Amino acid sequence: MEYGVVVFYSTSWALKAEKVAKEGGFEVKLIPTPRQISSDCGTALRFRWEDREALLALLESKGVRIEGVHKI
Amino acid sequence: MSRFFASRIGIIVSGAIIGALAALLVLWGNPPNMGICVACFTRDTAGALGLHRAATVQYIRPELIGFILGALLGALLFKEFKPRSGSAPLIRFVLGFFAIIGALVFLGCPWRAYLRLAGGDLNALLGIAGFIVGVAIGVFFLKRGYSLGRSRPVGTAVGLVMPVFALILLLLLLFRVSFGENAPIFFSKSGPGSLHAPILISLAVGIVAGFLAQRTRFCTMGAIRDVIIMRDFHLLSGVLAFIVAAFLVNLAIGKFHPGFAAQPIAHSNHLWNFLGMVLAGMSFALAGGCPGRQFFMAGEGDGDAAIFIFGMLVGAAFAHNFNLAGVPDKIVDGKLVVGGPSLWGQIAVIVGLIIVAAIGWTMREK
Repeated sequence: MEYGVVVFYSTSWALKAEKVAKEGGFEVKLIPTPRQISSDCGTALRFRWEDREALLALLESKGVRIEGVHKI
Repeated sequence: MSRFFASRIGIIVSGAIIGALAALLVLWGNPPNMGICVACFTRDTAGALGLHRAATVQYIRPELIGFILGALLGALLFKEFKPRSGSAPLIRFVLGFFAIIGALVFLGCPWRAYLRLAGGDLNALLGIAGFIVGVAIGVFFLKRGYSLGRSRPVGTAVGLVMPVFALILLLLLLFRVSFGENAPIFFSKSGPGSLHAPILISLAVGIVAGFLAQRTRFCTMGAIRDVIIMRDFHLLSGVLAFIVAAFLVNLAIGKFHPGFAAQPIAHSNHLWNFLGMVLAGMSFALAGGCPGRQFFMAGEGDGDAAIFIFGMLVGAAFAHNFNLAGVPDKIVDGKLVVGGPSLWGQIAVIVGLIIVAAIGWTMREK
């Protein structure tokens, strides 16, 4: 299984994204932002890479602000 | 190399090294259970600069200078030096201000709370409990949409303000500069401020801690927050390693003395130990990092973290100029006199709780 993470500039957006994604039926999990991606001690949303387009479209439609998307 | 620092074993080893060095600093001359205390050391530095005149707590602490320079080194070596700012700086100043007032009512930031526990000071349990509650309240606000907004890349000068400030402090310390009679730089002749390890040892420990923390994201607040938000124990494992290593070193050097009463530079006023750290925990959670973390981020070029530190510096000055800080327990004629904050200190904590909660409630992004 391949995964990706969405990173945010604020933990509150990560929490919002998790809620929105779960309500949308996506299999996601909050994880600490992987050290390789960012030096901050923040929170990121892990998702199944195959869901990428659908998930990002959902987050955008719900007004969740994201910082970036990375494959892990 | 990067992979090692990012790993579970990396943060455990790093936490253990920092904890062991912190306990050893006491052997080398730092105050009891205060090998590293970011709040106390900021307070001492404010005193050395004459921002407050509490004669027993005045010394420019090289550990903090090392935190900044070590983090800067780590960031430069691994291309993570990123000057940034603009995420509600004034609010961060206020959070820093009240964080240190809460911490100084307890007589320690989370770093020292853990080190006090590792030295057998059971009052730390009340402080740590308060700290966890404070972080949990911060998480409640995060779940409501609390955010200070995004920071933006800025010019290199912004990122260098804190490292340059640290270098100036180092020069003032090394040359013991005097600006006149009864003028800074002050060096305590008695009390905690007079107790310190040799400058180069303190500086070296600070640099090592700063470097390791920058690489691993070691954070005494994030450890608690990540467990509450996502049941993730990565950062907590680093903090537990920090405590265990300090405890083992304390056992080995005969500095473990379990109990509540008359612990060094501590008071057993349980309510205010608890509430002081609720205030500190909330403030650190809303600012996104413990006080150590703020120094490391400032070393990486984060201008907002630097503003938080200046808020702590000013808050420390207020804490002592206005008699807000906790007074340690004393033994007078063989009897224990329980210390704690003055009425003004208690009022300051309540006011701080209200103001920080108002920040948590109102600073939202939709």
